[in-house]
Amino acid sequence: MAFPTLLAFLLSLLLSFSPTLSTNNEGNALHALRSRLSDHTNVLQSWDPTLVNPCTWFHITCDSNNHVIRLDLGNSNISGSLGPELGELKKLQYLELYNNQIRGKIPKELGNLKNLISMDLYGNRFEGKIPKSFAKLKSITFLRLNNNKLTGSIPRELTTLSNLKVFDVSNNDLCGTIPVNGPFGSFPMESNIINVETRRGKVLTIRVLNCDIATHIFDMNVSIGNANIGVKRSMYFCTLPL
Amino acid sequence: MNSEMGTTHMLHLILLFSVLSSVHVLTHGDSSTESYWLLRIKSLLTGPVGVLENWSPRAEFCTWNGITCSDDQTHVVGLNLSGSGLSGLISAEFSRLSSLQTLDLSKNYLTGSVPPELGQLHNLRELLLYSNHLSGNVPPEIGHLKKLQVLRIGDNSLTGQVPREIGNLTDLRVLGLAYCQLNGTIPAEIGNLKSLKSLDLQKNSLGGPIPREIRGCEELQNFAASNNMLEGEFPALMGNLKSLQILNLANNSLSGSIPIDLGRLFNLKYLNLLGNRLDGEVPVEFNQLGQLEKLDLSRNNLSGSINLFTTQLTNLQDLVLSDNFLTGNIPSNLCNGNSNLSQLFVARNKLSGKFPLDLLNCSSLQELDLSDNYFEGELPSELDKLENLTDLLLNNNSFSGNLPPGIGKHESLGNSLSMSGSIPVELTNCTSLTEIDFFGNHFSGSVPQTIGKLKNLVFLQFLSELFLITLYNNSLSGPLPETLFLLKNLRIINFSHNRFTGSIFPLSGSSNLTVLDLTNNTFSGPIPLSLSLSKHLTRLRLAHNLLSENIPPEFGNLTGLNFLDLSFNNLTGEVMPELSNCRKLGHLLLNNNQISGTIPSWLGTLQELGELDLSSNTFHGELPQEIGNCSRLLKLSLHGNKLFGEIPSQIGSLTSLNVLTLHKNNFSGSIPSTIQQCKKLYELRLSENSLTGLIPSELGKLTELQVILDLSKNFLSGEIPFSLGNLMKLERLNLSFNQLHGNVPLSLGKLTSLHMLNLSNNHLEGQIPSPFSRFPLSSFLGNGRLCGPPLPPCLGPIIREKKPLSNTAVAGVIVAIVFSSTLICLGLLYVMLRIWCNWKKVSVSSSEAGLEHKREEEKWVYREATGRDFEYWKVNSSQEKQISSTACIFQLKVDTETVDHSF
Repeated sequence: MAFPTLLAFLLSLLLSFSPTLSTNNEGNALHALRSRLSDHTNVLQSWDPTLVNPCTWFHITCDSNNHVIRLDLGNSNISGSLGPELGELKKLQYLELYNNQIRGKIPKELGNLKNLISMDLYGNRFEGKIPKSFAKLKSITFLRLNNNKLTGSIPRELTTLSNLKVFDVSNNDLCGTIPVNGPFGSFPMESNIINVETRRGKVLTIRVLNCDIATHIFDMNVSIGNANIGVKRSMYFCTLPL
Repeated sequence: MNSEMGTTHMLHLILLFSVLSSVHVLTHGDSSTESYWLLRIKSLLTGPVGVLENWSPRAEFCTWNGITCSDDQTHVVGLNLSGSGLSGLISAEFSRLSSLQTLDLSKNYLTGSVPPELGQLHNLRELLLYSNHLSGNVPPEIGHLKKLQVLRIGDNSLTGQVPREIGNLTDLRVLGLAYCQLNGTIPAEIGNLKSLKSLDLQKNSLGGPIPREIRGCEELQNFAASNNMLEGEFPALMGNLKSLQILNLANNSLSGSIPIDLGRLFNLKYLNLLGNRLDGEVPVEFNQLGQLEKLDLSRNNLSGSINLFTTQLTNLQDLVLSDNFLTGNIPSNLCNGNSNLSQLFVARNKLSGKFPLDLLNCSSLQELDLSDNYFEGELPSELDKLENLTDLLLNNNSFSGNLPPGIGKHESLGNSLSMSGSIPVELTNCTSLTEIDFFGNHFSGSVPQTIGKLKNLVFLQFLSELFLITLYNNSLSGPLPETLFLLKNLRIINFSHNRFTGSIFPLSGSSNLTVLDLTNNTFSGPIPLSLSLSKHLTRLRLAHNLLSENIPPEFGNLTGLNFLDLSFNNLTGEVMPELSNCRKLGHLLLNNNQISGTIPSWLGTLQELGELDLSSNTFHGELPQEIGNCSRLLKLSLHGNKLFGEIPSQIGSLTSLNVLTLHKNNFSGSIPSTIQQCKKLYELRLSENSLTGLIPSELGKLTELQVILDLSKNFLSGEIPFSLGNLMKLERLNLSFNQLHGNVPLSLGKLTSLHMLNLSNNHLEGQIPSPFSRFPLSSFLGNGRLCGPPLPPCLGPIIREKKPLSNTAVAGVIVAIVFSSTLICLGLLYVMLRIWCNWKKVSVSSSEAGLEHKREEEKWVYREATGRDFEYWKVNSSQEKQISSTACIFQLKVDTETVDHSF
């Protein structure tokens, strides 16, 4: 009778101490993330914050120095929102949160992930703007934000991302012009230096994906170089005569 | 006439009577009305016995509990029922007590709203309603109380905005609105309150900037607005608030730099700006704040070095600068012998340099946290000079050397000790020690023999993260002391990442173990059977040691075991069936041993299993189809064994699987098409087996494949499926060393994420899709008939045309060869130009076809064709027209082929 009580006491003692003892920044950040998410299928059940580091949690991959390099929660039926703490995962290379029901803004702190190679947030309900802080993602190669509810324009600042190879923002509520500098200029359809300007109309889809630049347009003007060209409804840029 | 006289007398009499009666009412009835209203007020209140008992018409109201009357005992001037346990409502009829100067109903359980009628109490000087359950708005009518000096209505559930009418209360000295749910902004009118000494707005939802008008509150001594949502920069001229003693703006969203002129607030004792977004440096002007006792600037974005000195900040007791981006050393004169500094927290910055020796003179220091910085060098041996120290946190730096023996004197350190060095024998005198936590530093030497004296030790963590580049032996080494076996209370042991040797037997003395982590040492010998007595063991991690012999079958008793990691040892034998009792296993990692036998089919009964790694052993036999029952499996690694037979189709039941590595085995047969159900796969390696048959086109449905798809070094035949072009996220594709033939499908050009491609050593032919020209030659070598960049350009059309041509040539006359060949050349040129022109029309029509609802692939093919044509045209237009037109024809050919594919 006394033994389980003692055990419970000691365990609780341990649990109460361990957060103060460890400097488990990444684990704390992920635990904070978990607290923001609703986990309908218990995929985060193994995320035990009392462990020294999060490396043995499911859906987490660490490098040999026990730094988190992958977070794989794609297609995991999670909802909720993201918080600034994700920016603490300084060594993260792959942030895979695609095809869930995550809402809210994309935290600008994600711009602190200097080692990030791939950010897949597609297929969620993110809203607000694409953070300008993404310009700090010096290693980013794959940035897929498509199929969300993002608004605003593509930040000019992203033209400094020299490693960017794939940039997919299709199926959002974006407007404005597609940048033409930096990686945006060197997407293979370089003969299509496209400058989309919404005058009266609305861009329904901007897809800037390698050679696959295609845009649904309603009643808008497209300028190529300095010449304005009127474009019919539902036309693909790639098929424009040049 | 008489009758007239009589009526006038009568009237006079009535008049006199009425006047007399009204005078009576004025002199006596007034007091009775105050008691009347008080009783009405009472009717809405309930309280504990004794509080409102004597509020009764039988007694003079001036004697009632809580009532203060005017000198002439006619008017209520004060009502104080603070902390009386009252519940109920605040009556609007308080407004009838027109002489009231003080109304204190604080610390009760009152509900309802603050009645706006209180605004009629023109004589009110103090209104105290704090700590109740009042709701609703702060009534703007409060702005009518011109004589009000103290207004404290916080710690309620008040909502809405702070009424701007509060700015009319020019005599106000204390304004307390904290701990409510007020929103909106701080009204600029607050600056009219020239007499205000204390302004408390903490813990509301106030947003917007701090109004710059606040500088008008020149008498302000206490300004607390922490835990709101205030944003923007500090208002200018805050330094004018010369009387300020307490400034607490913690946990807001203030940005910009800390204004220098705060350094002019010479009376400041408490300055708390933690948890904002402040950047820039800590103003050196803060050194002028000679009265300052507590300074907390933690959790901001501050940078630069620490330039604070207790030689000037003589009263400073607590200095908290943690969680910023501060750089440089801790300044040598931060704390001297005469200072009062007791807490110094600078954790989680970017501070560097050696342990600040001058801190050893800071005898007042009780808590010192230098953790998570870039400090380095040896710890000073005189640490024990800090005789008041109770908490010392040095972890996650690069300190080295020995822990000073004197530290053992610090019985008080028992609560929390986290540092580095070798473990002194004296430490074991701390017999009350319940925890030792030495993780994240560099230790050396051996564990003292007397450690067994620490009978109370329940938590022993020697986790030391060894850095690869170290020039000195900085790990705990040697065998474990036998006396450790006496520590029967041990529950959690973490000795990972050290250089312990010998048997782990001394750590198996406690049957209370829940966690044992000895990862990355050089322990040897067998795994002790006694570990199986720790029935509560949930995590057993013995990876990266030199442990030998078999996995004890007695581990089947550990029914609570969730994490079993025995990887990277020298274990032999088979996986015994007793282990199937460990039903809670979530991680089973036995990789990189010499374990033999077959893969047990009972693994399928482990429903919690998320990670199974049996790779790099000598398992043989078939992969049991029961593995498909582990529906929660995320990672299945069986590579580097001697497994044979077919890959069971039940693999498709593993719908959660992220990683599947079966490479380096002897699997035969074809790749099961059921693998398409593993929709979450991001890594798939089946290379170096004996797989035959086609690459299933269903692989194209694994659209989350990302890290690699490796099918190399098998006997796969047929063409590369067109569908692989759907793997938009794939970064590495290796199909080399198979028997694939046919063209490289154009669709693969859609693989925009690909940065490693190996198609070498197959029987592929034809044009390499132009997006692949970015890959090196080695990606394509060993395919006799592949051409186009980066391989030599395709002469494909000519070679192809040559076959029928050579037939005719054989049939033709040899003499006509020269003539006919020139004719053919000319004809060819003509035909090509015609075709090109036709094709250009096709391209235009295809652009119109974009309007129609054609299949996505088809559209893509057209687009690809046009895109590449432009490239070719651009490259070749300055050269001979002939070459460009051949390229053009080739395009058309490819076009038709791909169209065939799409049908």
